[in-house]
Amino acid sequence: MSEYTVVGQTVARVDAVEKVTGAAQYGADVHPPGMLYGKLVRSKHAHANIRSIDTSEAEKLPGVRAIITQDDVPSGRRVFATDKVLYLGEPIAAVAATDPDIAEEAAERIKIDYEVLPVVQDVMEAIKPSAPRLHGDGTKDGPNRREISGEIRTLSRDKENDHSDAISNLEAELENYPDEVYYNISAESHTEAGDVEKGFAESDVVVEDTYVIPRVHQTYMEPHVSVASADSSGKITVWASTQGPFAIRSGIAGTLGIPLTQINVIGTTMGGGFGGRFGVIITHVPAVLLSQKTGRPVRVQMTREEEFTDGRPAPGCVIKLKTGATNDGRILAREALAFWDSGSVSGASIGSTIRVRGVYKIPNLKVDAYGVHTNKSGTAAYRAPGAPQAIFAGESQLDEIAERIGMDPVKFRLMNMREEGDEVPAGSSEPKVGYKETLEAVADAAGWWDREAGENQGWGVAVGDWTNGCGPGGVYVSVHEDGSVRIFHGSMDITGTDTAISQIIAEILTVPYESVTIRRGDTDSAPYSTGSGGSVVTFTMGNTAKLAAEDAHRRILELASERLNTNVDDLELRDGKVHVTSADPPKSISLGELAAYSLSTTGGPIVGKGSFARQASTPALAAQIAKVEVDPGTGRTRVLKLVASQDVGFAINPMAVEGQIEGGTVQGYAWAMMEEMQYDENGNVNPGFVDYRVPTSADLPTVESVIVEVPAPNGPYGAKGVGEPPITPTLATMANAVKDAIGIRINELPIKPEKIVNALKSNGH
Amino acid sequence: MAKLPVSLTINGDEHDLLIEPRKTLLAVLRDTIGLTGTKEGCSTGDCGACTVIVDGKAVTSCMVLGVTASGKEITTIEGLAGDGELHPVQQAFIETGGYQCGFCTPGFIMASKALIDENPDRTEEEFRHALGGNICRCTGYTKILEAVLKAAEEIRTTT
Repeated sequence: MSEYTVVGQTVARVDAVEKVTGAAQYGADVHPPGMLYGKLVRSKHAHANIRSIDTSEAEKLPGVRAIITQDDVPSGRRVFATDKVLYLGEPIAAVAATDPDIAEEAAERIKIDYEVLPVVQDVMEAIKPSAPRLHGDGTKDGPNRREISGEIRTLSRDKENDHSDAISNLEAELENYPDEVYYNISAESHTEAGDVEKGFAESDVVVEDTYVIPRVHQTYMEPHVSVASADSSGKITVWASTQGPFAIRSGIAGTLGIPLTQINVIGTTMGGGFGGRFGVIITHVPAVLLSQKTGRPVRVQMTREEEFTDGRPAPGCVIKLKTGATNDGRILAREALAFWDSGSVSGASIGSTIRVRGVYKIPNLKVDAYGVHTNKSGTAAYRAPGAPQAIFAGESQLDEIAERIGMDPVKFRLMNMREEGDEVPAGSSEPKVGYKETLEAVADAAGWWDREAGENQGWGVAVGDWTNGCGPGGVYVSVHEDGSVRIFHGSMDITGTDTAISQIIAEILTVPYESVTIRRGDTDSAPYSTGSGGSVVTFTMGNTAKLAAEDAHRRILELASERLNTNVDDLELRDGKVHVTSADPPKSISLGELAAYSLSTTGGPIVGKGSFARQASTPALAAQIAKVEVDPGTGRTRVLKLVASQDVGFAINPMAVEGQIEGGTVQGYAWAMMEEMQYDENGNVNPGFVDYRVPTSADLPTVESVIVEVPAPNGPYGAKGVGEPPITPTLATMANAVKDAIGIRINELPIKPEKIVNALKSNGH
Repeated sequence: MAKLPVSLTINGDEHDLLIEPRKTLLAVLRDTIGLTGTKEGCSTGDCGACTVIVDGKAVTSCMVLGVTASGKEITTIEGLAGDGELHPVQQAFIETGGYQCGFCTPGFIMASKALIDENPDRTEEEFRHALGGNICRCTGYTKILEAVLKAAEEIRTTT
């Protein structure tokens, strides 16, 4: 029996009714009077010089109210391409018109004269001296050229088991470039602990492989959208579908060179984010510029096709990984070299390559990572940014080691897992963690220890770690004279966080969950709040909410002490009433009576304030097991069982936590088996749901989720952030299961049927 | 562009409108009538977010021209609850946690309602395939299927 009455219980979400009745207001549902429709004019080439832009034919179209280019950006900050475009779909101009169809027609009438340039889409091509350069003048001494130490330059692979043509092609071609200089490098990151060469030398088994992970799109169901309205005083209101209204406010202010106070951002209900909804210039800045020019509200809404060409997806990468272990199962060394496809700008999460270390005791570690420019849009966060890619490589290779030394993959992991006090390679020491408990939980739930596999069936296991972020937040809580509790804050609800905040405050004020209501303010009214990403919200806003409720709790006891003429120490708040603990007969006063009484006191109404910014977080583990069956004729993989456990610290709303585990796991499954943004010299070639397949209900069985609770010392009630961890292990879980089923390891994702068929063929099947 | 007269019955209300022939039923519902509960997720008929019920059948309203819906009876997510009571499908989505961001939810609820009305006796596997035209990116579908099966059971036993 839980010691709590509201937290830890499954409750219907605070936004339940508005979400199932169509009443929730998303970005594209905002329609102020006189609103115009904006449309971005986009590059038709992946790499080209712009010779001229002719807007005259578009201007003649009735209903067109404004056409803007970079010349209309007073700050000079780059919003539109001017002399050169770097990817298909890059914005060059924008149009506002009275009707969306007119705006689209006007955009098509804008004539842009291009000088087409050579294109590079593959990271391993882009680093070569012969590759087209995206930035600089193309000379040897231009930017983005790096000297690279030659230790692990040539990509090698496990030729016996790997049938990826892409990797062997890369390998052959790189041998033609003996000078050790890479080009189109956007960023780099290097980490070292111990001595890997010594570690490999002491190892009985060393495995080396190259893993290729594709660029995938977050594919939130609501495309990017914003509505901006600039009034005659210069005040700008932006209704934004975003994870971080305060970040959007400062982003717009910075881009346009205007004061923060001139901008109010209203976060609309978010139709999915997954890290992809922090961008400022994608739609928000163009909408503001068009509204400033026309004096009318303007909506800029992306189509799904625009999402694929000009969204900010998760970066793909190529990771070369080498691991050494002893025959008795101790991992001694791991070395990684990664090239991340950052697209036309820097910003890919290359630092996450360090996650190849996993949750294991690895005394010797070396990680080198580079971001590489290609002719694609920039990238952004996607659910545990960078971790699924790095962990795919790390956990796939771990299974190869386990196989070579003849050890069960779960036992091998358990044997090497870190515990409290163990040193984290290239990090500090491990706090109290639940790695082993979480892996054991999934193994038990999935029936791992007595697993059976029929013909063409296989089992796979993998784990992924992630630590939630933390950021600033503020919450006000007030108690009204009917005893109801109102919460006011500024963080965006990310599928259930408003509900968790409400549960925490109801728990502390000992009122029923139903008597609590929560309201989100805009950036003009609400206290500052960190963006809703990085699994921060429950941790940060949960702590903030606790502080606010505790502050209100103090005021409540103070009022009761006054009202009942009793010392505060003799009072207890319980069941929505303040009780005099020693009174006989019992004596109490309700929250409503106290709230009414407060209105005529010197101290005033009950208002609790919570303000919080930083506390150390605790790592969380997600562990998953899949059972699959592969049809050797068609190459189709059917998932028979998918079990996902996760250490969530404490599940404030268990049903919502299960939902996060299930959803994240399915996104990971899709990255492993289905999704891939494909590019050729013209740019993205699969910008829609027919060619970029995401899973539907027909693709999957029920995901079985297992909640593990190893409390985080600083989390509210021990809670850890739950959103990101579940996507991290699934890529490797699936690859390991396919390997078990067909005996061939596929290191290049996604594991589409044709890859399986080809792999089986070249293995003589 | 010349507008054409159309007569639509939407959630029981009759609307006589003049609309451009190029406007989709989705655009008419959202922009002309102001019923924004129906969502636009792809505009190519692939994601199901814009699903409404036309003469008893679930259709993606981005794939239907407004003029061709003239004379037809249309139910949108806003027309499902009645007399202050949520429809059993809506209730089931709440109780099972069958939604997260909620953007695909109106489409899923309308598609599920049409399927259950047609045959509430489908198995889970049959519902999984029948709902294959609706994309949800948050839930992984496990709790959506729970919701649909629960609603089907509820409707089966009360009618």
